[in-house]
Amino acid sequence: MIRNLEKYAPYFFIGPAVIMLLLIVIFPLAFSLGVSFCEWNLIRGGSWKFVGLRNYSYFLFHDPYFRTSLKVTLTFVLVAVGLELILGLGVALLLNRPLKRIGLYRTILVIPSTMTPVVVGIIWRLLYNPELGTLNYFLDLLGLPPLNWLGDPNLALPSVIMADIWEWTPFMALILLAGLQALPKDPFEAATIDGASTFQLFRYITLPLLQPTIIVATLLRVMDAFKTFDLVFVLTKGGPGMSTETLSYYTYRYGFKFFHIGYASALSYLLLVIIIIIVQIFVRYLRTGEE
Amino acid sequence: MSKKRGIINFLLLVLTVIVFAVVLFPPFMLFLTSIKNNVDALKYPPVWLFKPTSSNYREIFELIPFGSYLLNSFVVAMISTVIALSIGSLAAYGLTRFRFKRSKDLSFWILSIRMTPPVAAAIPIFIIMRNLRLLDTPLALILAYCTFNIPFATWLLRSFFQEIPQEIEESAMVDGCSSFGAFSRIAIPLITPGLAATGIFTFIFSWNEFLFALILTGTRAQTVPVALTGFIRETGVMWSHMAAAGVLAMVPMIIFTALVQRNLVKGLTMGAIK
Repeated sequence: MIRNLEKYAPYFFIGPAVIMLLLIVIFPLAFSLGVSFCEWNLIRGGSWKFVGLRNYSYFLFHDPYFRTSLKVTLTFVLVAVGLELILGLGVALLLNRPLKRIGLYRTILVIPSTMTPVVVGIIWRLLYNPELGTLNYFLDLLGLPPLNWLGDPNLALPSVIMADIWEWTPFMALILLAGLQALPKDPFEAATIDGASTFQLFRYITLPLLQPTIIVATLLRVMDAFKTFDLVFVLTKGGPGMSTETLSYYTYRYGFKFFHIGYASALSYLLLVIIIIIVQIFVRYLRTGEE
Repeated sequence: MSKKRGIINFLLLVLTVIVFAVVLFPPFMLFLTSIKNNVDALKYPPVWLFKPTSSNYREIFELIPFGSYLLNSFVVAMISTVIALSIGSLAAYGLTRFRFKRSKDLSFWILSIRMTPPVAAAIPIFIIMRNLRLLDTPLALILAYCTFNIPFATWLLRSFFQEIPQEIEESAMVDGCSSFGAFSRIAIPLITPGLAATGIFTFIFSWNEFLFALILTGTRAQTVPVALTGFIRETGVMWSHMAAAGVLAMVPMIIFTALVQRNLVKGLTMGAIK
């Protein structure tokens, strides 16, 4: 009896997770793929109308707002993640030496990345506030004119990016620090004996050895940056104009402000495809590490 | 030479202090605002010396039902964590202990689901929950949070199971122990620290989540992040109250981060970096 049941053991262990994920992720996504081929407005009543690829061709070829949003998102991802990588590497190098109480430092350092993103938004809204914000107070102390951080269309996106950099640079630094501390000591000793300078050590030994860590950290950040929603919602609601309207926020507005569920589903599939491509690169990277 | 070293070390120390000041200053400003009364909070230039008050912390429980929002957040995060740990530990054990065709593919499929953009999942889940009449209930949020917590728990626990030796389980099974017995009586006790770390992570993710909570809840099942945005009103922002509520949302996460500190990198990178 027991022997017979043992035959099914793998299903017993893995079954619940697979069934649950099919039910709560794959089925809903298949449903929204279907909806993305329809015109369906929740406000105007419940009728679906099959329109084929019209939703897709509309945002690809006719929707100027979509193009703006895509540009905002790409700028955001590129600038934010790029600066986070550079700053994070700097902080990691700075902390990569024998420190007492490194655990405490790590915990403090990573506070911005593990606290609630909405709270990060609130904090920066407070700092950026043109009437009572601390940042303008500091500018004033330095004798500089005050800035309308979130209200100026040219400054809003850089301001959101700056908040994102504050939030996620610690995440980068923490991962890169772990990577630095796992590096072998021998190549550094050999190169030092051969008279390599600190810069040469960094350029020709640290960077190449750290590359896998840098790639994993960057891919994870790029995936998250593409989905940015919380910061935009709290800081700017996409404005002024569309200057900070990320793809996630644009899709959210179509789905839950205008209730164009069909169009929003098509938009969400674009984001999904972008993420799936990055995930594939990430997974390939992990697999070569595991096998 | 040693003088030059001394200068460099001093500069590195200054830089380190600057880094930590930049990290800590913004949350410190939030805390400062939370203990100012309404008049001091709106003064410009900002006042640094004032009589601290705890009235904001008291008033958020009186003016809005902040207590029940905290409770909602806690219940949703807790139940979603328990479900993710139960289902995830079973799956992780199955994926590491049974060799079957495409078990690697299945593992990576589960990992990929973790990355689904919330807005893509939120649209169909909203429609489904609406048809099931589950909008504005904790159950809707619990199920929605399982979409990322189950893959995360499975993947992270998989790496913990991989680290423990299989010999004890194998000899127990030779002695007639079932594979579920080997799982529950031998493997699970061995990975208890990993289970705790994974649970803390899924709790943090659920506590912090905003998009699903915004879309799936109204007034009754609202969680803390959504309630926080409620302080931003047409008539202006209730700064000192919002700051107090923000501090209450933030503090548990700092404590949890400290608890999970050893496994922080592993958890944040899905075990890609140890």
